[in-house]
Amino acid sequence: MRFLNKTWVNGMALGLLLLGIGTALNANAQSANVHNANSHNKPMKHAKRIQLATGAALAPDGRLWVVGLNDRGQMFLQSSPAQALGQWSAPVILNTQQDEIAADGESRPKMAFGPNGWAVVTYTQPLPKPYTGFVRMLRSADGGQSFSAPFTVHQDRQEITHRFESILFDAQGNLHTLWIDKRDLPPKGVGPKYIGAAVYGNVSKDGGATFGPDYKLADHSCECCRIAMSNTADGKVAAVWRHVFGEQTRDHGFALLPAASSTVSSTAQGQTKIPVRSTFDNWQINACPHHGPGLASNTSQTGFHMVWFGIRKQDGQDVAGVRYARLSATGEPLLNTLKTIPDPRAEHADVLSHKQRVVVVWRSSDGSTSTLKAWISEDEGQSFSVKVLGQTQGPNDHPRLVQRAEKMLVVWRDTKEIKVYDVSQ
Amino acid sequence: MMFLNNLPRNMDTSQLKRILMFKRYLCFALLLPLFVVQNLKAQDHKHDPKHNTVNGQSVSARKLSSTETFHEKSWAQLLKSGPRPAAYLFTTTYCSTCPAAFDVLHHAVKEKGQAVPLMAVMMDASGAKALRHASHFKGITKMYAFDGFEPEIRQSVDPAWPNVTPYVVMIDAKGNAQKVIGPPSPEMLKRWLY
Repeated sequence: MRFLNKTWVNGMALGLLLLGIGTALNANAQSANVHNANSHNKPMKHAKRIQLATGAALAPDGRLWVVGLNDRGQMFLQSSPAQALGQWSAPVILNTQQDEIAADGESRPKMAFGPNGWAVVTYTQPLPKPYTGFVRMLRSADGGQSFSAPFTVHQDRQEITHRFESILFDAQGNLHTLWIDKRDLPPKGVGPKYIGAAVYGNVSKDGGATFGPDYKLADHSCECCRIAMSNTADGKVAAVWRHVFGEQTRDHGFALLPAASSTVSSTAQGQTKIPVRSTFDNWQINACPHHGPGLASNTSQTGFHMVWFGIRKQDGQDVAGVRYARLSATGEPLLNTLKTIPDPRAEHADVLSHKQRVVVVWRSSDGSTSTLKAWISEDEGQSFSVKVLGQTQGPNDHPRLVQRAEKMLVVWRDTKEIKVYDVSQ
Repeated sequence: MMFLNNLPRNMDTSQLKRILMFKRYLCFALLLPLFVVQNLKAQDHKHDPKHNTVNGQSVSARKLSSTETFHEKSWAQLLKSGPRPAAYLFTTTYCSTCPAAFDVLHHAVKEKGQAVPLMAVMMDASGAKALRHASHFKGITKMYAFDGFEPEIRQSVDPAWPNVTPYVVMIDAKGNAQKVIGPPSPEMLKRWLY
């Protein structure tokens, strides 16, 4: 053992130390690589909680499509033939490039069909900073058989709110996208306070291949409710959303979207865009109702049917409720059309109409049992009758309404299945 | 290793010392990887919801490193045996008006100079996704996270609570609860803490 002199021992010990550190770091790096490989395989960011919010759309051939997240957090598409609604094809997984996807409550993936075989799927991609997101889209030119990679719809790329998107093709085949946007908020501590957020939008004339500039539809929207859109009888698109009037009055704003042919400019600095006021609950609250309105064009006359949630003072008491009213063609509420849905637990109502028939659908939950109810009118909303459509236990999505001409369907997803209810007649 | 254990009998003291020093270094070098890996893994697990590192005392939101599970029976338990006075703010990941309401609670507590626990209950996310929001709640003592069906919580806390956040419950020293949607008024804060 003469070779074990002092220098050799020190050298060898140092070598072993370095080897040890190297081994340790390598082991940890391998562990991290395994983690990354798994997370890149498919997003598994919310393994426990199944996000049930699902979008639905009727294709020109009458086929019903749904888009949502499966229990592994992957975005899937399924369809069901017009003759056998509810008999779903095998789910097809869409390539969303590991985007985190919001699919809960009012923020659901969406799908829409246009002319020329165009179809689009959209979703909000939450970004790392809370309350921020990008509106993402996948487009198809073959009626939903194949889709592009996802892309961001808006031009603004700040890590701020671009969320709660809504999409609709107009009668000319232009794709309108709206979303809640906070680009107009000044930096914290700089300038006057900007109340709420804004509603921004853009238009694509080629089914999502290219987009016009972002434009501002309204200042001071509420920040976390869905936006309702509807085609009008004269080929335009109307929208209604929860809006902050004054300092903290949360009612609803209405606007007709600019035509695709008009020159829409980006934000005009300093110019506040105030929408038409469609509801007058006068709800004074600085909170997030997360309870957006529903809007349907009145196809037998001009104007619209609208449903919304709000709290209003009645005899000195705060009375919460989901209410219905008819709107004029320019979005003002019509006198003597206001009604309250006869269910104090009603939530996330939506509305459809065709000719004289108006269908309001909502969920009513006591925490364990949820009931799907419909309020049906055959006289353009003058009188209604309640009908129970279905019931389920445990977690479930809000009811999603879809329509193509006289065909009116309700899609309702729970943890076991996606049910379809035909409310056409 | 055997050659180091079978030491020759005729070895001198300095040789023995060198061999023992070598063995010491070798053991250290072999144990080091285990120590480093365990330490790094422990850091990774800081976001494990099972590890609750705060209890009762207000800590900086940035230091909050875990959430505690909230379930449909939690509320009854907290009302029965939770801290008093205390406040609970029910929130969601999309509720951008919630931090401002929490600020109102925090400011009231600071002004009063009391160590009152301020809790946030995240209703639509758990784990790291919920914790991502903790830094927006200044003065937070603890974050609960619910991993189920939101109406279940609402039913257990207040069946008349519509789906609106923030929903704030302030419990005073005697156990009386005040509930409000949105930021509490100065009168409510006064009743809560004075």
